[in-house]
Amino acid sequence: MMDFLEAVRLVAAPDVLIAIFASAVYGLVVGSLPGLSATMATALLVPVTFWLSPIAAVATIITASAMAIFSGDIPGCLLRIPGTPASAAYTDEAYALTRKGQAELALGAGLWFSAIGGIVGTLSLVLMAPLLAEMALSFSTFEYFWLAFLGLMCATLVARSSPIKAIASMLLGLLVSCIGMENPAGTPRFTFGIPDLLGGIEPIPALVGVFAVSEVMRAMVTPEPPPLPRRKFGSILANQWMLTKKYQWPMWRGNVIGIIIGVLPGAGADMAAWVSYAMSKRFSKEPEKFGTGHPEGLVEAGASNNASLASGWVPSLLFGIPGDTITAIAIGVLYMKGLNPGPTLFTERASSMYALYLIFILANIIMIPLGIVMIRLAASVLRAPRAAVMPVIMLLCAVGAFATGSNLFSVLLVGVFGCLGFVMERNGYPVAALVLGIVMGTMVEQNFITSLIKSDGDILPFFERPVSGVLAAMTFGALLWPLGIWIWNRMQRRRMAAGDATG
Amino acid sequence: MTTLNRRSLLGGGAALLAAPAIAPNALGQPKYPARPMQLLCPWAAGGGTDAVARIVAALLEKELGQPVNVVNRTGGSGVVGHAAIAQSPPDGYTLGIITSEICMLHWQGLTEVTYRNFTPLGLMNNDPPGIQVNVASPYKDAKQLAEAIKASTPGKMKASGTGQGGIWHLALAGWLGAMGLKADHVRWVPSNGAAPAMQDLAAGGLDFTTCSVPEARAMLDAGRCRSLAVMAPKRLDTFPNIPTLQEAMGIDFTTGAMRVIVGPAGLPEAVKAAIEPALGRIYQSKDYQDFLAARGFGGVYADAAGAGKALAEADASLGEAMKAAGLAKA
Amino acid sequence: MHLSDRVTGGVLMVLGAAAAIAGSRLPAVPGQEVGPAAFPLLIGSGLVLCGALIAFGIGRSFEVPEEEEAPPGPSSSPWRPGGPRALVPPALLLFYVLAADRLGFLLTGAVMVFVAALALGARPRLAVPMAIVAPLLVHLAFYKLLRVPLPEGLLAAPW
Repeated sequence: MMDFLEAVRLVAAPDVLIAIFASAVYGLVVGSLPGLSATMATALLVPVTFWLSPIAAVATIITASAMAIFSGDIPGCLLRIPGTPASAAYTDEAYALTRKGQAELALGAGLWFSAIGGIVGTLSLVLMAPLLAEMALSFSTFEYFWLAFLGLMCATLVARSSPIKAIASMLLGLLVSCIGMENPAGTPRFTFGIPDLLGGIEPIPALVGVFAVSEVMRAMVTPEPPPLPRRKFGSILANQWMLTKKYQWPMWRGNVIGIIIGVLPGAGADMAAWVSYAMSKRFSKEPEKFGTGHPEGLVEAGASNNASLASGWVPSLLFGIPGDTITAIAIGVLYMKGLNPGPTLFTERASSMYALYLIFILANIIMIPLGIVMIRLAASVLRAPRAAVMPVIMLLCAVGAFATGSNLFSVLLVGVFGCLGFVMERNGYPVAALVLGIVMGTMVEQNFITSLIKSDGDILPFFERPVSGVLAAMTFGALLWPLGIWIWNRMQRRRMAAGDATG
Repeated sequence: MTTLNRRSLLGGGAALLAAPAIAPNALGQPKYPARPMQLLCPWAAGGGTDAVARIVAALLEKELGQPVNVVNRTGGSGVVGHAAIAQSPPDGYTLGIITSEICMLHWQGLTEVTYRNFTPLGLMNNDPPGIQVNVASPYKDAKQLAEAIKASTPGKMKASGTGQGGIWHLALAGWLGAMGLKADHVRWVPSNGAAPAMQDLAAGGLDFTTCSVPEARAMLDAGRCRSLAVMAPKRLDTFPNIPTLQEAMGIDFTTGAMRVIVGPAGLPEAVKAAIEPALGRIYQSKDYQDFLAARGFGGVYADAAGAGKALAEADASLGEAMKAAGLAKA
Repeated sequence: MHLSDRVTGGVLMVLGAAAAIAGSRLPAVPGQEVGPAAFPLLIGSGLVLCGALIAFGIGRSFEVPEEEEAPPGPSSSPWRPGGPRALVPPALLLFYVLAADRLGFLLTGAVMVFVAALALGARPRLAVPMAIVAPLLVHLAFYKLLRVPLPEGLLAAPW
């Protein structure tokens, strides 16, 4: 209890509160700019943390990353341009809602369930950190391989178009991830002698290209869409309570999945959003509504990616193993501030830990009012003429891509991926699946190859270990399920056709 | 020099706006530095090299009275950033931080740039690799582990710590070579950095890792693994309980991951004369020492000449290790 | 750029085959049994298979029957004459890559915004002020706030 009071005192210090507020605004803005990810938002904060007290330093990182993951939903919803890869899974859905004139419902769902996910994720951190950490440590490369494989399969579930085309897009993404020398063998592949390709293709330029640039390209060749009916932008939170009650079960499932995926090092908010959206569609009572502007998937995936953000801190705090790229940066800051990760952090510096928890909760609470302001400001782009919005988007694409590595080559990549995304979209290939392939490619290959190396080329260990066996069974189940449905439908139809013929 | 003057004057205008107190220098005899400087970092923001670059930049700003911006020029596994530093104009306004990879990339035929394309200014840090095993491992010290390695069939034992051909892979190859074994006697499991390797070690997927001790630190603190030895000439200040390889098994093999502040080749003497002592003072400063201690980074300093010598030695020894491991391009 | 499934499927098959062949030629890594060739080979083969399924229309029968293949939103709207206009954005990005270092961010950005706005049918009355204001705002946000080293070029920002 003393520790807790001490923690309240630590957090209530004016410098900490100012840091939380400032980094919240900063995270909201950076996350909503296409091309700047939540990781980037945190990385750019590191030099600032040099000058802050330990608690304030950690507070900026926690707050900025939570805000950025939420506000990545905003441009996705309004313009069909996801701000961060974590929003890519359900961008089409949110945009469809906007086209139906329900932008406030979509954005409100993003905000409300992000906050809930963040708080539930934090509670998991408070209550079950040692348990979750134990689970994370039992994952070897074999388990990761199956996990990544399961993540990839979500491409086919999420897609509205032909599943074969979704798989093809996903494979194309995997092929893109082969470029460079960041592979287990350390051998340059498909670099065509271009030094810039040695490091491979980052997901961010690809994401910006296939979503944002191709959207601008589409705007060039299509007439201005009929303006949305001019009316007052409705209340943002009004319907959220109704959604919470209606989709209670998907919401909890999203939270749990987010927590589990977040805890596993290497699989972060991006994957959590994908898996949850796919799960939501698979288990929904009305899967046919998905993709047409149906909030159910937004509820589940929105909760999931923010839940994963909080639980991603578990392995970082206990073992110094980053749960994702954001916590990788956070670990550096923790060390710098003398809050060395390890179990002792929970015992000897309990007040600091409680302070961390409080910041998490606080960040997710102030996300709601600040998010509402942000949404209201951002919604004005819906009223602006397209000829005013799209050129600015393009400029942001160029600068955002450049900002990731101060490298003009990324700007070129954005252009190339824009063309690719444009052609793919025209021909019914889902671009989101391509992004998934690029995001997951390294993880799949890394764990596949290293597992083979460790087992001396033997396949058996992929199934032998208890957890990997379960995951393998789930993978094959998910793989064979649609095939089974398809055969079943086919037989049904044949039987019906036969019935028609005789009857 | 005419370009330098023109640039300084133009920049002086900018400095006038930014910091009026320093501007008079730029109007008269241009005193270096007269305008904001850049420090290029070939690795991504948030990593260890980035952290060193940022603290050095912050302290350099204090020393020189001009803003020093860290620019992460990433890409190509460090190739792009290292080349960018080497090709920047040698006017003292673009400096960089280079890492041991510069002594490896050219052996693999991935770049033409070597340490000779830079003007070394100061070695700021050096992290030696350790040898870590799972806490449940039967090997109590480096000697036992070495015996087990010698007795095993080639490829049976698995180690990790970084990607294929990375600095910690070469540390393993060098250690095995010093024991008289072939470089691939222990199979290297490439990993995406030290953290996943440590996680796999804790999950029981590996026999040992050869990443640096600070990278293993949290797992050591958590009691999940043990560090048997460190491949350094003397024990580390932050980890005084870990013996050196020499102490543990009488093998004199040392290596490490260096971080050196440099400029492009042909840096004017005036610049060198300003930066080199400034880096020396920074290294001695409490801020920098606190930073090293907090992160557990190995504190090693060398002035310009010493850093150049260290780079040349690393280039030779890493080249040898890479040839032995079959990683160098013939 | 609406192409038949036969064409896109064919392209995927060629791409997959090229990846598999180029991948299989990658040198093995000394001391490792599984080299860099395995993964591209696998992906390439998968692409060939998918490409074939698409090209020969087999994949279609997997589709949910009643669903028309119409992506949501504006992309389903009819084409306007002047298809090459779609290439304006990538061309402007290429222009940025080539010109940014020489002209500087502000001028390059102004040109990009101006041309893109005109191509989208804006009047000069809208395009000119936008070309002036937008790059300045972006520069302010990225250069001052995020410390991204945007090139100065011919025209430096007033801050």
